[in-house]
Amino acid sequence: MRKIGVIFCIILGVLLAAGVPADAALKEVSLIPQWLPQAQFAGYMVALEKGFYRDAGIDLNLLRGGPGKPPFEMLKSGRTTFCTGWLSTAIQKRATGTPLVNIAQIMQRSALILVARKNSGITRPEDLNGKSVGLWAGQFYLPPAVFFRKYNLHVKIIPNYSSMSLFLKGGVKAIAAMWYNEYHTLLNSGLNPDELTLFFFSDYGLNFPEDGLYCMEETFRTNPQVCSDFVKASLKGWLYAFDHKDEAIDIVMKWAKRANTGTNRAHQRWMLARMQDLILPDGDRAGLGKLKPRDYEFVGGVLLGLDLIKELPQFDVFYRGPR
Amino acid sequence: MKLSFPRGITFKMTLLVLGGTAAVFTFVLAYSYIYSRKMMLAEAEESARNLTLSVARRIEQEFRAVAEVPPEEATFLDLTTWDKTSLLRLIRRMVQDHREIFGSSIAFEPFAFEPDKRFFAPYYYRSKKGIAFEQLGSKSYDYIRKDWYHVPKVLKAPVWSEPYFDEGGGGILMTTYSYPFFEKGQEGQDKKVRAIITADVSLDWLTKLVGSIRVGKSGYCFIVSDTGKIVTHPQRQLIMVESLFSLAEELHDPRFRTIGRAMIHKKSGFMEFGSTLSGEDSLLAFARIPTPGWSLGTVFPKRELLAKVTMLHQTTMLLATGGILLLLAVSLVISRSLTRPLVRMAQATARVAKGDLDLELNQSDIRRQDEVGLLAQHFKRMVAGLKERDRIRDTFGRYLTQEVVNRLLESKTGLKLGGESREISMIMSDLRGFTALTSNMPPEQVIAFLNRYLGKMVEILIDYRGIIDEIIGDGILAFFGAPESLEDHPGYAVACALTMQASMGEINARNEIDGWPHLDMGVAVNTGEVVVGNIGSEKRTKYGAVGSQVNFTGRIESFTVGGQVLISESTYSKLSDILDVRNVLNIEMKGVPGKVKLYDVRGIGEPYNVRLPERNDTPVPPSEKVYVQVYRLNQKIVTGTYSLGWFRLLSLSSGVLALDGEIKQWEDVRIELVNDQQEPIPGQSYAKVVSVKKVGDEYEAEVRFTSVSPEAYKVFRRATGTARKESA
Repeated sequence: MRKIGVIFCIILGVLLAAGVPADAALKEVSLIPQWLPQAQFAGYMVALEKGFYRDAGIDLNLLRGGPGKPPFEMLKSGRTTFCTGWLSTAIQKRATGTPLVNIAQIMQRSALILVARKNSGITRPEDLNGKSVGLWAGQFYLPPAVFFRKYNLHVKIIPNYSSMSLFLKGGVKAIAAMWYNEYHTLLNSGLNPDELTLFFFSDYGLNFPEDGLYCMEETFRTNPQVCSDFVKASLKGWLYAFDHKDEAIDIVMKWAKRANTGTNRAHQRWMLARMQDLILPDGDRAGLGKLKPRDYEFVGGVLLGLDLIKELPQFDVFYRGPR
Repeated sequence: MKLSFPRGITFKMTLLVLGGTAAVFTFVLAYSYIYSRKMMLAEAEESARNLTLSVARRIEQEFRAVAEVPPEEATFLDLTTWDKTSLLRLIRRMVQDHREIFGSSIAFEPFAFEPDKRFFAPYYYRSKKGIAFEQLGSKSYDYIRKDWYHVPKVLKAPVWSEPYFDEGGGGILMTTYSYPFFEKGQEGQDKKVRAIITADVSLDWLTKLVGSIRVGKSGYCFIVSDTGKIVTHPQRQLIMVESLFSLAEELHDPRFRTIGRAMIHKKSGFMEFGSTLSGEDSLLAFARIPTPGWSLGTVFPKRELLAKVTMLHQTTMLLATGGILLLLAVSLVISRSLTRPLVRMAQATARVAKGDLDLELNQSDIRRQDEVGLLAQHFKRMVAGLKERDRIRDTFGRYLTQEVVNRLLESKTGLKLGGESREISMIMSDLRGFTALTSNMPPEQVIAFLNRYLGKMVEILIDYRGIIDEIIGDGILAFFGAPESLEDHPGYAVACALTMQASMGEINARNEIDGWPHLDMGVAVNTGEVVVGNIGSEKRTKYGAVGSQVNFTGRIESFTVGGQVLISESTYSKLSDILDVRNVLNIEMKGVPGKVKLYDVRGIGEPYNVRLPERNDTPVPPSEKVYVQVYRLNQKIVTGTYSLGWFRLLSLSSGVLALDGEIKQWEDVRIELVNDQQEPIPGQSYAKVVSVKKVGDEYEAEVRFTSVSPEAYKVFRRATGTARKESA
């Protein structure tokens, strides 16, 4: 546990150093996902493995994300051409002086949820009052905080850092979890769905669309075609992954094993299925990859209301993705 | 007749025996299998539980030993004053003294040990070069955020971490026991964590220990954590990657979810493990390792557990199969020995049915003492009986009463068929004019008409113990007093003749309804010495009577007219006191010298009491003129021309004719009616001339009708005023 960071740095270094020799016809670009290889990023891995980027004339270097590698920082510092990241975080970055643009909104819905055990008496939002709730810091804090404010809940917030142990061992009554990830970890730690209460923020009018694709405004201005081709290839990767789940999971597992994440297929299968729910809600392929002004206005409004930003950037300035 | 037995007794019996035995065997085998399986499984469960519990206890001891260390350190820190040096020495000694501890640290809260240092966590651990030291905590390794620190801090209670791979310690699997150490002076939930004391446990020894446990030939042990994660397993790729729950999803076997929850929540258990993971149907015993809250599972392939049962079962199956085969042989032999004589007898029966009675039965069948022997003996007797019956039937024809047959059969010695001279009584009857009457009838009707009459007569004859010698057309010859002797044969014969005659009324009533001609019968009875015996050749023999007396009876009969019973002198003389004689005829007969006396009998008294109904047939002057044409017959052939005439007197059975032509006494005549325009009325009637008187040119002839056509009968009735009242 202690040396993991060191190892990552070494691997990253090796990867960067061993960079593929430049193909004159191909544009060399890079992408950093905001976390370790898992089905949350299946679309990009599949697009790469299936040659969709290459077909679009793009030579993608898919970087390994993970702890200690904040995607927007890496974008700003030029260590990557593209990154994935949360809409709320991206708006804050743009509003506070990082000139980034959204070139595709991948997830259309909040995947962050609150989970509680039914036998701790929590079945409605108001049941959370006075209870201890485990929350991640940073961007993960925003939606629960807005939720608590909306329902005027006074909860005892306990910081949670990584695993679900805090909740499993009884350290907190409720905990924030990603529906596609930690919630399944809870199920596969022996909790049954009917034993748990889930609070989907989007069910309470608080939809914070999460993962989107970003690049610096400068990048988009100078290479709009590459950006557009990159997005198209990525979305093609997603659709292929949804249509060929077993193959997609094979690819994801290959990347996960290389990163030694210790995951299993069942978990990645669940995650990919949830990705489909989040990326294509109600099977809506027409809306694939598009940021909806309504979602932008909502998240921006929340940020303004919390005084986290002073001014909401123009939608058309912020969003340069498919229309 | 079909004589092969494709589905015969052998087949059925064998099938039944084998089916029954197989059913019993199956039931017994199934029961013994189920029962012994249950027993062995119960036994296996017991030993599996025990084995699992003992292994779990052994592992538990190791964890408990580790868990005892951090509290000791906490107590030491509580009770003594210490500085950085003594703290480091304490940690180092702990690692050194406890071989089960891989590494240990006392990790302090931020700025709690030294106000200017965020991190203070000295860590001693075993390395290849002996005990190594490291100060934990850095920007990239913020231990405050690690589960092993954070969770016990929040819980304010000791926690065993989920097992994890420690990349720092050479890729070994470990778990950390974290024990919170509190600041002094506070109690309950208010107490403040000052540091977390940790003891790392390498799970290498656990993997080795669990791997070394032999569970039968192909069973194995595994350990899951308190979240169902696989900690040790012979399939190494599962370790720390899969949990019982992820296996449930990936193997599409929901059973693993049930198993996982049971292992997490229950102290111990025994359940089906299925075959999806281990490749063959297995059972699982599990037991809690209480200190870390993990669970040890032991997997037993059922095949192995049930090996003994299976072997026992196979042996029993083999024995049963052998037994059934043996039974098959035995049942075949027995049933064949039963059916072979039966088949032979069936063949014999078929031959008997075809009429072949001269067959030989297998002597061994007859000598057998069992039911088959009995059947063969009875069969033999039956054939003999049939032979005897055939002989008698051939001899007597069909017209013997059952009583007579029985009597004949019973008294073989008393029955001589060879031929003897004996006095008997004979009856001969004949219908008047039958041949002529029926000459225009269709053949079927002739037979029906005749059988109605004969049926009745035969019935009466049998009632009176008469033996029917012959039936020729409408004529019957029967006798009384042979072959069995009958003391009062003349009485029987006369009574029988009278009854026959009396029954003609009934027959005629039925004939009239059907529109058939009126019949008149004459019957003669005679008594005398005749020869009786089997007459004929080998092919066809008949018990019958021959002799002049038989012929004489025929002669008498030819003198009868319709409705009459004529008996001879010899018969009369034996019964004179009980007979009612109406008339005595003196007749000249061809070939018989002198006059023959014949008696017209009307009744017989005790003990027979038969009387002919009084017929109102005194001829009266007819109420209308009935004209006739009369043909003279000789041997039933018309001779000469007809004479014309009319009835002076008329009854239904007789009349007095006035004729213009010649006619003689005892002549037979055919009478055809004509109307007053001299046109013939259809239908022919017959009569016998009883007496003749010549009056001038005319002859006056008294006639008795032997046969009257239905048309004539109608006219006679009208003319004599005896017409039946037509029903309204």
